[in-house]
Amino acid sequence: MQLKSGWLTMNSKQKTKDIIIRTTTYVTSFISVFVLASILIFVLVEGLPLLNFDIIMGDHHHTYLPGVKIPYTATDSYYEYTPKAGEYYSPRYGVAFKDEQTLEGEPIIELTYVAQNSPFSRAIGIGNHAGEIYALEVGQVFMSGILLWSDDYFTEGGSINPDATTIPYQVSEGAKRFAEALEETFYIATIAPVILGGGIRGSIITTLYLIVLTLVIALPVGILSALYIHELAPQNWFTDFLRSLIDMLTGVPSIIYGLMGAAFFIPLAQSMFSNRIDSGSIISGAMTLSVIVLPVIIRSTESALDVVPKDYKLASLALGANETQTIFKVMLPNALPGILSASLLAIGRIMGESAALIFAIGTVITDDVSIFRQGTSLAVHIWASMASENPNFALAATISIILLVVVLSINLLIKLITYKFMKRFR
Amino acid sequence: MAIAFNVENLNFYYEDKQALKNITMQIKKSEITAFIGPSGCGKSTFIRTLNRMNDLIQGTRVEGKIEYEGQDIYDKKSDVIELRTRVGMVFQKPNPFPMSIYDNIAYGPRAHGIKDKNTLDSIVEDSLQKAALWNEVKDDLKKSALALSGGQQQRLCIARTLALKPEVILMDEPTSALDPVGTIKIEELILELKKEYTIVIVTHNMQQAARISDKTAFFYMGEIIEFDETSKIFTNPAKEQTEDYITGKFG
Amino acid sequence: MQKMNQKSNIQSKKIISYVLKALLLLTTLISASAIILIVYQLAVRGLRPLFGVYTVDGFTDVKLNIRYFFTGMEYIGYLKDFNLDGVLEGAYGIGYLIINTIFNVGLSLLLATPIGILTAVFIVKMAPNKLGQVLQVVVEMLAAVPSVVIGMFGQGFIAGIIKNVTSVTGNFSLLNTVIVLTIMILPTITMMSTTALRAIPRSIEEGSLALGATETQTMFKVVLPAAKSGIFAGVILAVGRALGEASAVSLVAGGSGSGPNFNIFGRTNTLSSRILMGFKEVSEGSLDFEVRFTMGLVLIAVILFFNIVLNAIKKRVANYEL
Repeated sequence: MQLKSGWLTMNSKQKTKDIIIRTTTYVTSFISVFVLASILIFVLVEGLPLLNFDIIMGDHHHTYLPGVKIPYTATDSYYEYTPKAGEYYSPRYGVAFKDEQTLEGEPIIELTYVAQNSPFSRAIGIGNHAGEIYALEVGQVFMSGILLWSDDYFTEGGSINPDATTIPYQVSEGAKRFAEALEETFYIATIAPVILGGGIRGSIITTLYLIVLTLVIALPVGILSALYIHELAPQNWFTDFLRSLIDMLTGVPSIIYGLMGAAFFIPLAQSMFSNRIDSGSIISGAMTLSVIVLPVIIRSTESALDVVPKDYKLASLALGANETQTIFKVMLPNALPGILSASLLAIGRIMGESAALIFAIGTVITDDVSIFRQGTSLAVHIWASMASENPNFALAATISIILLVVVLSINLLIKLITYKFMKRFR
Repeated sequence: MAIAFNVENLNFYYEDKQALKNITMQIKKSEITAFIGPSGCGKSTFIRTLNRMNDLIQGTRVEGKIEYEGQDIYDKKSDVIELRTRVGMVFQKPNPFPMSIYDNIAYGPRAHGIKDKNTLDSIVEDSLQKAALWNEVKDDLKKSALALSGGQQQRLCIARTLALKPEVILMDEPTSALDPVGTIKIEELILELKKEYTIVIVTHNMQQAARISDKTAFFYMGEIIEFDETSKIFTNPAKEQTEDYITGKFG
Repeated sequence: MQKMNQKSNIQSKKIISYVLKALLLLTTLISASAIILIVYQLAVRGLRPLFGVYTVDGFTDVKLNIRYFFTGMEYIGYLKDFNLDGVLEGAYGIGYLIINTIFNVGLSLLLATPIGILTAVFIVKMAPNKLGQVLQVVVEMLAAVPSVVIGMFGQGFIAGIIKNVTSVTGNFSLLNTVIVLTIMILPTITMMSTTALRAIPRSIEEGSLALGATETQTMFKVVLPAAKSGIFAGVILAVGRALGEASAVSLVAGGSGSGPNFNIFGRTNTLSSRILMGFKEVSEGSLDFEVRFTMGLVLIAVILFFNIVLNAIKKRVANYEL
């Protein structure tokens, strides 16, 4: 096609510009993909190794078992065992240890093997538990408080040697050193086993309590409000006013909700259950969360009601049912998928919320969960861990895995429900 | 008289559905050619092949040849951008851009590299004059194009096309969204434009075709049933189908 | 007999209906009053430091130095003798925090807006169908990531990269904060922009293409400008979120105690983050506790200010509306 005599020029300059713009747009769009992938990979790499049943079901706080002493063990005591890689074995006592760390990074040693009938399986309680027999178990750790007496504990005559020597040992010296020290130990006067904490069971339960309580409060209020606004309310300035008051809630940052929770709901919960609550509580947290998710529920329910064909309503009224019956027996059941989505959205919001709960409950991690006491949701647990002096990335990442799996699944579920719901009314 | 479009054995498909069957015709320059026919007969599809607007739809396929001024417009070497500046299009529903009147008209020239303000000013005035809109808007060219009435908006769209100094103007039912007064104004405008441009118009309105066109093509089910002088089509059609349609027996 | 039963049946139905209607109205009033409750609580607690006296560490009759509160460049968090007349006043300067907050949010907007708009253009127009859908899902997933997780990602991952590439030591920096904020508002801008772009009728696009413009010209010179107000609405929403973001920012900002901080390699702090910090140690009813409510009021004022200004700009920008 011949170009017209020089009047217009769709020249190659424009074509080059086009290509540059297109390429830039292509590349820029993948930034979002890159960011999401980085977050997911980081969370998986850091958190997956730590993700195991113990963490999920375990206590956050260490459980300090009663101190014990180990019965006299002669030099000729011998237990056969082939230690695995990383284990350090003491044949005299029939026990193996490996080096470990607490979540804060402090070195400890973990008991990885106890031979049958080993002295460690016949430990004797001291202090308040004097005389009781305990078996030390694989998985328990030692952090401190170990006192070792060497073989000169008894004199030739059979009485306790006043000049008996102890074998100096600190847990920070490691598992290998401990195994070696044990070979020269006649009597372990004290040893304090600990069940390691760092588990998140408490936070999981707290999160579940929060979800249930919040939905119990917010779902009825939200659904009924949506029903009123959508179906019953007259079209006047007052209704518009009510609507805008509810809409304003969505623009409030969560930290403001937190402040309100601290100022209002904590005292409110305290006065409602005066004998059982004396600070922030899961109840005050749930109350705060219900205000946060209320607009979400109202809006979703209203959307669901929008989709219900008007004919259903007209048919019901034509059959002689009054307004209320129509609302509760026709509109509401048909809006159920939307209400389900609303609940899922609310759950997602509750699980992701942190700033508000930091104020409305507190940041005390607990193992013994009660709705009348403080606790941390999973998100707050992450924050508390990261904001402390020893941020624990591995634990935070592990919790994040759980959070992300749940939240992202909820998102996909909601899409599925909306899709199926729309199909129904086509 | 010179030929603008030469169409030979054109077949057009939307996926597996064939929309145009074996279309062969010639469109002469400086004439007004009208396409008539019942809904779905393919006249809109055909007019959109003339400036390759159908390329934008997924799954379309073209067989056969369409030549504009001797050159196959579907040939790989042909520049579709170039084609569209020489063959302009006005749509059924006026579609002014959400910009000022001035920017609407200036959009085409700007997109093709013209930047000088004086040049643009004169193009804008010239186009609006030709579209018989200048007197109505000259006092406020910065006003939003969307504030104009339906008829004015359509004339604006015509002016927008004229700004590129095309040779052909394709019109796809340009008055069906307008009221009678607006319609008359557009028809008068088209008769004026005929002096300088080749015009192809698709219309639902047979009286309109009879009023303004030189040649008329009657489409039915993707084929051209009859193509002749307008006067002949409307007074003494050769095919019975044509007569049935003209007299209102169907469609 | 039947007639009477029918009558009382209808009566009880009427009563039930009346009660239910009242219940619905009541719950709606409760929902609507939530915002009033928030504002009231905030005002009651937040205004007290401006007008009341406190006892701090045994010093009675301590007032907050109001001028220093709004203009001070250091959040001392304790008492200070401002006028050197032996009178101790509460020294909580948040002026620098206001500047910091605006600066940080502004920077992240500058980053996120072009990326968001271009991504939306890609999803709606340029990407082959399946790819566009996938990318949209990716953006929605990014929107669903809780803010703490992004904060943790910032402290645990982004900090590491920043340490290797720049002069920053430690895990906290303004750069990190801006990146974290950008990640948080990017999905909002992207999703609102795709909605805005999809709302532009095809006829506008066809009109441009029929004039011989390329697809790219059509998108950037016609469609995008036509979608301006929708895109702007997304930006306004994003600004609101960024201004109020606390937990993620507190994990990467570094808790700078004075400012304003403009060095992107140094520490910083924002209003929301400052409200969050140190909350564990304060006691109910103390000045330290209640001044956070005052800061909450200031935060709301800042958010309202931005909303009003941006909405005004939006009105002017959208004068050629579809």
